[in-house]
Amino acid sequence: MTANVTSPPSRNPFPIFGWRRLRVLLIACAVLTVLMTPAWQGSYFELVFRWMFIGSICLLIFGVFERWPKRLPRWIARWVLQVIGIVVIIPIAAWLAYVLTTQGNPVPFWHDKQRLAGFGMFTFMSLLIAPWMAVAALIGQINGKAQRQALAFELERSELERKAIDARLRLLQAQVEPHFLFNTLANIRELVDSGSPQASAVLSSLIAYLRAAVPRLHEPATTLRQELELVRAYLDVMHMRIPDRLQFIVHADDSLMTLHCPPMSVLTLVENAVCHGIDPSETGGRVEVRVVEANGRCRIQVVDTGIGLQDTIEGLGTGLSTLRERLQLMFGDAAQLRLISIQPRGVSAELEFPARRGVP
Amino acid sequence: MSARIPTAMIADDEPLLRRALRRMLGQVWPELEIVADARNGREAVEQFEALRPDVCFLDVQMPGLSGVEAARFIGHRAQLVFVTAFDRYAVEAFAQGLLDYLVKPVEVERSAETVARLRERLRASQGTIDTEALVEQLAERMLKGSAPSTLRWIRASVGSVVRMISVDEIDILRSDEKYTRIAWRGDAGKPADALIRTPLRELMAQLDPAHFILVHRAVVVNQRAISHVIRGGNETATIHLRSRDEVLPVMRNYLHLFKQM
Repeated sequence: MTANVTSPPSRNPFPIFGWRRLRVLLIACAVLTVLMTPAWQGSYFELVFRWMFIGSICLLIFGVFERWPKRLPRWIARWVLQVIGIVVIIPIAAWLAYVLTTQGNPVPFWHDKQRLAGFGMFTFMSLLIAPWMAVAALIGQINGKAQRQALAFELERSELERKAIDARLRLLQAQVEPHFLFNTLANIRELVDSGSPQASAVLSSLIAYLRAAVPRLHEPATTLRQELELVRAYLDVMHMRIPDRLQFIVHADDSLMTLHCPPMSVLTLVENAVCHGIDPSETGGRVEVRVVEANGRCRIQVVDTGIGLQDTIEGLGTGLSTLRERLQLMFGDAAQLRLISIQPRGVSAELEFPARRGVP
Repeated sequence: MSARIPTAMIADDEPLLRRALRRMLGQVWPELEIVADARNGREAVEQFEALRPDVCFLDVQMPGLSGVEAARFIGHRAQLVFVTAFDRYAVEAFAQGLLDYLVKPVEVERSAETVARLRERLRASQGTIDTEALVEQLAERMLKGSAPSTLRWIRASVGSVVRMISVDEIDILRSDEKYTRIAWRGDAGKPADALIRTPLRELMAQLDPAHFILVHRAVVVNQRAISHVIRGGNETATIHLRSRDEVLPVMRNYLHLFKQM
């Protein structure tokens, strides 16, 4: 994210005599000069000079009131001040322009009827045009500002959205239930207290599980080998905790181990099977994980013989729905996730996605 | 009471945690005799009915009948101590009330305090503190979401022992004057019978009408236990069950329940 996108618009967005303003001024003066040329009897230099002089003064006033005073009382808007400033300055500027261009003359221009008429003409036309130009410029500025702000806002929002999704995914990937953790630790402590040789092995499994559950930022996809190691670590831990109620087996050919696998995908299905199928059952059951590759697709099946799909249980599916979301982000419609009730009891969860190998 | 050796039951679905609690109690309360181990709430209630221990250590999360539900059945007949792994809601609920609880992994110091309280209460033979309302509140909090109005477990006498029967295991309920006779699938799915002291009418009101249907004036059947229904002539039908040879006649008034679906 670049800093300038969100930085507030600078206080003086345009220099007083910026090129764009000068260009507009030149064009306006040129048009007015051309319009007046047919009726003009004096020198063209005077004509051009007077327009340029009046225009520059207007631009100066426009620019000055654009940035000064820094703070305005509530009852006056800056654009009003700018327009009033222009209206007030025009007669003065025209008068000055005439004084400057008629310096050598013995008679002051206000005694010369023709010159006085010319002065009136300049003042009148300026008053007619300059405030509108100022207003037009102001509207342009406001539009431009709004557009820039909208764009910046849009950018910021999409950026935030992306970040939110990232964060959510990381968070969901990193979820270790405190209930699971403390129960497992209580079990391990008992193994340690009783001097069981099993303690070290189970602790290793827990460490493997926790390590995997901590977000791996630079690994958008893991291999099936890593994923199944994680699944085994989790099942080992659970088997220590409820040995009489959980049996498990993992079938996967060695040739499949290099397949890409979305991180925590199989684990989510297995955790789901244990938490919602096996653990709520008095008699427990068996969890079977099977992976096959066919027609360029990787198919993972997690079958449990637990209590089956229960519509009363809340929370079933939060893990699955986030997995579904992640699959959608990674594969679009090319991935599928199905949950099927099986007989005599239990659930079969099936995950399918395009089989890919090697460096992503 | 002080002359008697205090007895206790430990209910937890994780065997190592039962062992851990037993070991810990051995340290802080050596004279306590652990008379029963239970692997779930149902066993806990059954063991309690059979052995009547003075203290029940109940894991909150157990398969089938939870520790809190078991506590409702045991009521004030024993000193109750809930055991839970870190669980924000449960701990919150316990901390507010007067219920005794231990948090897994159980620390010796913490359990010594609880044990001291229990000992004091047993020694003074002041009975249990009135926990029933608290347990009821707790159960309500923890069971939120699962329909609380329908009965899920029934306490029944089978011969001389009390059994906890999940309503899902029940095949048939028959009215027997003031009692109800229950045909259910017991250990390893073998058909068994039990008698309970509640009239069928009262039970019926608490059972889920989606699963339990009245097929005769005095007979209620679990729809999930039905294998098939055979229609006879003259508006009669018989119900055949999955795990029983018994055949149940359907009264004419209830035939509409078995019209082609």
